[in-house]
Amino acid sequence: MDLARRFDADPPATASPDAKRPQTATRKHRRTRIALAFIAPFGTLFALVFIVPILYAAYLSLFQQKLIGGDTFVGFANYGKLFRDPQFWDGVGRVFRFTLIQVPIMLIFAMALALALDGMRVHGAKFMRMTIFLPYAVPAIVSTLMWGFLLGVKYGLFGSLNDALGTDLDPFAPGTTLISIGLMVTWAFTGFNMLIFYAALKAVPRELYEAAAIDGANEFQVVRAIKVPALRGSLVVTTIFSIIGTFQMFNEPQILPSMVAGSGVTTFYTPNLYAYHLAFTGSQQGYAAALALVMAAITIAVAYAVQIRGLRNASDQ
Amino acid sequence: MHPISSRRAEAGKASGTPTRHSGRARRLYTVGNPRKSTTLTVMTALFTLYCLLPLVWLVINATKSQADFVSSFGLAPGREFALWDNIVEVFGYQDGIFSRWLLNTVLYVVVGATVSTFLAALGGYALAKLDFTGKRVFLFVVLGSISVPGIALAIPQFLLFAQLGMTNTPWAILLPSFINPFGLYLMWVFTAEAVPTGLLEAAKIDGAGEFRTFLQIALPLLAPAGVTVLLFSFVSIWNNYFLPLIMLKDPAWYPLTVGISQWNKLGSTAGNGALIQNLVITSSLLTIIPMVVAFLGLQRYWRSGLSLGAVKG
Amino acid sequence: MGLSRKVRLLSAVLVPMLALAACSGGGGGSSDGDAAGGGGEEQVKITVWSWDGTVAQAVPGFEAANPNIKVEVVNAGSSQDEYQALDNAIQAGSGVPDLVMFEYFAVPYFAIPGKLADLGEFGVENFKQDYVEAAWNDVTVNGKVYALPSDYGPSAMFYNAATLKKAGMNKPPATWDEYYEAAKKVRALGDDHYIAQDTGDLFFLLSLIWQAGGRPFKVDGNKVHIDFTDAGTTKAVSFWQKMLDEDLVNTKITGWSDDWNRALNDGTLATQTMGGWLTSTLPERAPQAAGDFRVALMPQWQQGEKVGAANGGSSFGIPAAAEHKEAAFKFLEHFTHGGGLASRVAAGAFVPNMSVLESEAFQSKANEYFGDQKVGAVLAEASEIVGSGWQYPPFFEWARSIYGDIASPFYTTGKGSLAEILEQWRQRCIQYGNEQGFEVD
Repeated sequence: MDLARRFDADPPATASPDAKRPQTATRKHRRTRIALAFIAPFGTLFALVFIVPILYAAYLSLFQQKLIGGDTFVGFANYGKLFRDPQFWDGVGRVFRFTLIQVPIMLIFAMALALALDGMRVHGAKFMRMTIFLPYAVPAIVSTLMWGFLLGVKYGLFGSLNDALGTDLDPFAPGTTLISIGLMVTWAFTGFNMLIFYAALKAVPRELYEAAAIDGANEFQVVRAIKVPALRGSLVVTTIFSIIGTFQMFNEPQILPSMVAGSGVTTFYTPNLYAYHLAFTGSQQGYAAALALVMAAITIAVAYAVQIRGLRNASDQ
Repeated sequence: MHPISSRRAEAGKASGTPTRHSGRARRLYTVGNPRKSTTLTVMTALFTLYCLLPLVWLVINATKSQADFVSSFGLAPGREFALWDNIVEVFGYQDGIFSRWLLNTVLYVVVGATVSTFLAALGGYALAKLDFTGKRVFLFVVLGSISVPGIALAIPQFLLFAQLGMTNTPWAILLPSFINPFGLYLMWVFTAEAVPTGLLEAAKIDGAGEFRTFLQIALPLLAPAGVTVLLFSFVSIWNNYFLPLIMLKDPAWYPLTVGISQWNKLGSTAGNGALIQNLVITSSLLTIIPMVVAFLGLQRYWRSGLSLGAVKG
Repeated sequence: MGLSRKVRLLSAVLVPMLALAACSGGGGGSSDGDAAGGGGEEQVKITVWSWDGTVAQAVPGFEAANPNIKVEVVNAGSSQDEYQALDNAIQAGSGVPDLVMFEYFAVPYFAIPGKLADLGEFGVENFKQDYVEAAWNDVTVNGKVYALPSDYGPSAMFYNAATLKKAGMNKPPATWDEYYEAAKKVRALGDDHYIAQDTGDLFFLLSLIWQAGGRPFKVDGNKVHIDFTDAGTTKAVSFWQKMLDEDLVNTKITGWSDDWNRALNDGTLATQTMGGWLTSTLPERAPQAAGDFRVALMPQWQQGEKVGAANGGSSFGIPAAAEHKEAAFKFLEHFTHGGGLASRVAAGAFVPNMSVLESEAFQSKANEYFGDQKVGAVLAEASEIVGSGWQYPPFFEWARSIYGDIASPFYTTGKGSLAEILEQWRQRCIQYGNEQGFEVD
């Protein structure tokens, strides 16, 4: 989905017959008023829920809150402090590493599953499609609870696995916790992404396959020439959404410490967790607001870069 | 539009019920009905197992009493089958507050998803079919907002809502849920693709106002997209945890996610809180069931809606 | 034309909806205000935030005696969640409850910036001798009383007599030296057996320091002094360091986790040195160990001594922004001090009230789970010997939240030492405290 192109050109169907008609000033004025009336409910609420809070955050980020002495205006000091804060960058580095590894793995799985299920060469496809999608409907609290048990070394399934194999692996050691979180996140979201890919494949006109069959194309060629290109648009969307999602990682590392010891999860494990901790435990809302805004800027920049790159590749085709 | 979607429905039917064709398939493998592959099936099944395993754990442990839960292996059944007792206890615990949480969640989901879908359709229609200045800026800002971390927003949202006196009321959950920027985007693309401008013009020539044209002509054509956006909203509101966690202090307004987490914390925080893991697990299971039902029931619509967005964008 | 009418209709629907939203929050607050204006004669509703389930037991009796006061007990979250909610409500200026539960360490955090009402105006000074001395000290900040103790956590040693017996011991260790020897014997039982677990339990370490006579925090007004090098602290820290170094403590199981419940249940954790409140929750965590557990005083640093410490416990205070302070105090007095106390004790609350601790009924009641041991007598004694003069810094809530960040690398890798952790923690506390406007050194 070419988010960027949409800014420069209206959707194709918008070039309506109206454009050909001469528009008087009053008519145009009236049309604008009608359009604004349609957009107003969304726009008003959007302003209340998004714009005003963001501006408010920007305002807050210029202040320092003190338990003794109240708020003081500090200018951009919070931002300066943030850029020198090793805990913040530790968290940013962690979500970047996580995103670089987890997102490709998850999307490759999702795509492979969509291709397998779409190819109609799998037994019990309907059941498996639903089952793979199910975890998406499970709230993060519940899923962390379940995985905490399954990966438990002492009483959990993983402990039994260790006993059976004679290994001594710990999924929740400081070096491995991120992998376990990756396992949970992949579990939760592969099905969702798979469904988006699957839907894109289902929209491929059947004549294309029939034509390919007449041309004597083998299965691999069909996948390469028809199916993978059909997935390009979805890939850009799923990539952007996955990146936004992992950058916001919060629930799993927030819940884990109460379940397992020595997992290495700190109060600044991810930027979101750090912001939460600063704002609600440390009473440092100004600093937390600065962190949140910087993180939003980083996310937008990365999502935008991915999208531009994704589109260039798509148009190279 | 229509020929394609009906063909897609046929394809879906064929893939959904492979066994029905198996008699014929032994003789003839066609594009629509190829030979089944054991390797592919096994590999897909392995991933299915990975998805299923935690849910199996949940189901098994929902049948255990608290004493059995602590003393038995996770994937083995307990000494007694306590599922019904657990369900009864879930609904009775703390004066039956679970029912209240369930009703709250239904309220947030139904009102939130319906309103957000309608607003998205209204806005998407205006973006696709009506002209106004500032359209590009509007789109840029709305789409940019998708990238803003929810938690980044939640803190200032809380402070703002607190000043408006809206925290600790359902409005604190409902108002933010009314806005679904991605839904607006989907609706815009759908409207541009699926609603012929000529049809709208014809209706207007017949004397219908813009709003009536939207309601009577455009909205029915947007149904598949609507279901998709509805379900997106449905899931995100149903699973919403962070926003209600900070907005609500009165358990009477909690949604299920926050309520269950509170129950879990009773026993996992140092102190003499009650240990009710059996209720936490059983209530988690009960929480998932409506989601599963909704997805199974609406899956055809929402898949066709998704495919539109994915392929046309 | 048709359209503009529709649009007007739509906005006619939406605008009041928003207005309604804006009102419904404020409206709730103002109607409460009206009730307050009426004083004692009109019906008053007070909101109590508590995650202690026994508080609700005292409500019916109170409402019967005070028909014009209605009490609503709400669980607004446990510990940290509740403090955050209270801070948010105070900051927002709406939805502030009338009575709030605080762990003892959280009292200074709210009291020093003036967020709690001074209970002196209600004459609570007279209550002083009715409570265990150390508990009263916990609710007193800079000479003023800001809360009334509602439950108490005298540190005691819960031990699994069956496990100790298997390791060749017929009585629990009475001193920490004996404890060290016992730990080695328990460890010899096999891989999973440990005398205790510790994954960076700050409250346990502080109770050890407390008992050894260390007083690392000194608070005077806005001045906070932190020092982890006094003799008592050093003694306690180096002892526990030795336990950890020699692998006598399980550093894989974290307290209050599912693993912990299971280890208590199967008897592989031999002792828990913890607050007396463990009494009520141990039976549900370790149902199969019924009859195996007993309670003793904390092991002593010197043979023949009797000094204790506290680990946890909570109190209730009235926010300065509360609307119905007088009604709130009436209920507070009722359930922590007056007629409502008995119903809470019957429901399992462990309270620091002398009237309860010294009563014959409490002292002589046999507890079936603990092999018919008279648990009350042990815990009453443990309460009365708690060392005096302990203080928490006003930013302890923040401090404890980051303690894990600092301690975790040591517990997982063994690199460093407890003394280094505490020094690092002190530095962070000094920095944060000064940023927050205190004078910390």
